[in-house]
Amino acid sequence: MKVIAALFSIVLGVVLLVAANDLPIWGDPESPVSVHLSSYFIEHSVEQTSVPNFVTAVLADYRGYDTMFETAVIFCAGITVMTILRRSHRLRKKNVPPRPVREGQDIIICSAARLIVPMMQLFALYVLAHGHHSPGGGFQGGVIFGASFILLALAYDLKTVLSRLKEKTMMLVSGLGVLVYAGIGVLCLFLGGNFLDYSRLASILQVTEIEARSHGILGVEVGVALTVTCIMLSLYADLASGGEMDEGL
Amino acid sequence: MIQSQLPILIIVMPLLMALVIFLLGHKNEGLCFYLHVLGMAGLFAAALGILDQVVTSGTAIHYYLGGWPAPYGIELVIDHLNSMVIAMVAAVTLLVAFYSRQTVPAEVPMRTEHEKVPLRVRNYYVLYNLLVAGLLGLTATGDAFNLYVLLEIATLSTYGLLALGRGRAYYATFKYLIMGTIGASFYLLGVGYLFIMTGSLNMADLFTLLDTAFMQQSMSITIAFAMILVGVWVKMAFFPFHGWLPNAYTVASTTSSCLIAPLMTKVSVYVMIRLMFSVFSAQYVFEILGWQKIVVPMAAAAILFGSISALGQKNLKRMLTYIVVAEVGYMVGGAWLGNVNGYTGAVYHILADGMMTLCVFMAIGAVSYKTGDASLESMRGIFRKMPVTSVVFLVGAFAMIGIPPTCGFFSKWYLVTGAYEAGQWLFLGALLASSLINAIIFFRIIETGYFPDFNKAHGHGHHTDKTVVAEAPLSMLVPMVITASSLVLIGLFSKDIINNLIRHSVPPGLF
Repeated sequence: MKVIAALFSIVLGVVLLVAANDLPIWGDPESPVSVHLSSYFIEHSVEQTSVPNFVTAVLADYRGYDTMFETAVIFCAGITVMTILRRSHRLRKKNVPPRPVREGQDIIICSAARLIVPMMQLFALYVLAHGHHSPGGGFQGGVIFGASFILLALAYDLKTVLSRLKEKTMMLVSGLGVLVYAGIGVLCLFLGGNFLDYSRLASILQVTEIEARSHGILGVEVGVALTVTCIMLSLYADLASGGEMDEGL
Repeated sequence: MIQSQLPILIIVMPLLMALVIFLLGHKNEGLCFYLHVLGMAGLFAAALGILDQVVTSGTAIHYYLGGWPAPYGIELVIDHLNSMVIAMVAAVTLLVAFYSRQTVPAEVPMRTEHEKVPLRVRNYYVLYNLLVAGLLGLTATGDAFNLYVLLEIATLSTYGLLALGRGRAYYATFKYLIMGTIGASFYLLGVGYLFIMTGSLNMADLFTLLDTAFMQQSMSITIAFAMILVGVWVKMAFFPFHGWLPNAYTVASTTSSCLIAPLMTKVSVYVMIRLMFSVFSAQYVFEILGWQKIVVPMAAAAILFGSISALGQKNLKRMLTYIVVAEVGYMVGGAWLGNVNGYTGAVYHILADGMMTLCVFMAIGAVSYKTGDASLESMRGIFRKMPVTSVVFLVGAFAMIGIPPTCGFFSKWYLVTGAYEAGQWLFLGALLASSLINAIIFFRIIETGYFPDFNKAHGHGHHTDKTVVAEAPLSMLVPMVITASSLVLIGLFSKDIINNLIRHSVPPGLF
């Protein structure tokens, strides 16, 4: 079996090398990727969306529909893991091997975590809000925010974190995040535009249509960040504790 | 206004319904069910609205998300081909939604013995809605990368729904997860190559960009096409990549298999047809590459393998899963015959096979709901115990064998004609052999179901007459009867379906 797998890998590797034959040269400014659509985004994203970072403009506006479903994918993964790991007590006692029990907490790690966590959370909000101008946005900010809770769980224990952020709240907020994204899209629909056409928000926000696109992007990024934060922590809590939500690692 | 927004509504409605059920449904499982049925009914109405729009206007609907024009933003394109698939998906999900009234609470186990709120039932409906959103989204989209994102959401929720079965469901789903992820990676890799070569992701845009001599000779494009094909073949369980399907679908709960078996494979076949003819072209696929010499025999092998494996199964559900593998061979083979009749047969079979797979899975599901298992023995005397279920099963079986006027006959007719025109004798033989084997399989079941156990009956004749009628609950019977009658209706109106929908979607370059 291993030999067959190795053979398949080698064949696939050769195929990939052959496929690289016709590809444009690395970094070629005349390659189709550089000239076909990218130039349009580079030239027009600021005047059409008033977002200086055109990666954000493409991600959350031109291709915002993809991003909405990527958020939904994260949400879906979170509830799938949660649903699968919750088995009946009887089944679980039989199947799950005993996990190591953690003894005590380290004062150095706890103190460091207490210093780091507020900084991380502040930085996460900065990354989220600054996605318009620099690398960042909802996914990145959400991951950092979620990681701050995981750090707390590692330094103290899962119970401490879950007493601050209840599992129920966590799941509620993760659903709300997707709802914020899809809700903004539907709002645009009710205001007479197409789905996710943020320029329609201008009448509510009292700004120009182009600025409304920028604000719409911020709104959906907040939704993404909410979902990513909560699903990060929920995945950690479920996987680390085997679905018991008591203690793990 | 609502008319022009229908294309996005069919995708956003189930997504929003998933969230609404998620946020409100933790108190009450009845509420989950009613919200779910309400959402699916609205969805079906919207799907019919779209079908009507496409048929009356005769042109494709283009919907630009975010108001951005086509190659820059993402567009939804609904034409004669996918409006039919959308209607099929919406019909199947609505029927299964009714059917799930009794089966989901019975089959989805509680988190703990003392749990008051059935979280898993709520999560089941959430995943169900996400699956529907994903399937409809990937059917409606006109963007190659967006298709990947929605394929991911559809398969992720499938993993969740399949894993909520009993016994070995976790292990079978885990194997499916590995296979499905590899398939998705191949698809993504192929789209990546296309993007590097052309700089575009929009299907219509890709079609024009790939229509040059340089692109048609390019090795990278050829390999990209091969990778995309392997990716969708894994997702649809085409013969050498079918390994995950029988295990995963057999151990899944009744509702999950009723929902996923008719939809996942059929929608993947649609995706293959869409990519073959709307991103690449009939000329590229059949004349420049000429791979039909390999793929059609592969399809014949899939049909023979699926049918012969089905013949040897004791468990009826497992037997049906092998028939699903064979049916995938029908559609792939038909699409690759490279002529109008083959194409018509393949596309018509997406609709017909979706409904008939649903029909037989529902009937077997009802039997196993009442008797507790799905072996051949559980069918003993079923015509007396569950008369309605048996008739439904009979209609489904006739469609699978291909007896007129059920829809199965017409798709086979077109496929056989197409195979004859293309001179693909192996495929033609496989089609006929498979019909014969299906007839043997189903008549064996019908015989078992119709006659009481002679060994037991011998000497106790008067006891067998007192068999109590123990029919499945009404929530299961009604959708089953509707599905069975739809098989006959689709067959009777096959001419209208083909003339009004499928003939309009025939890609240029097919004869």
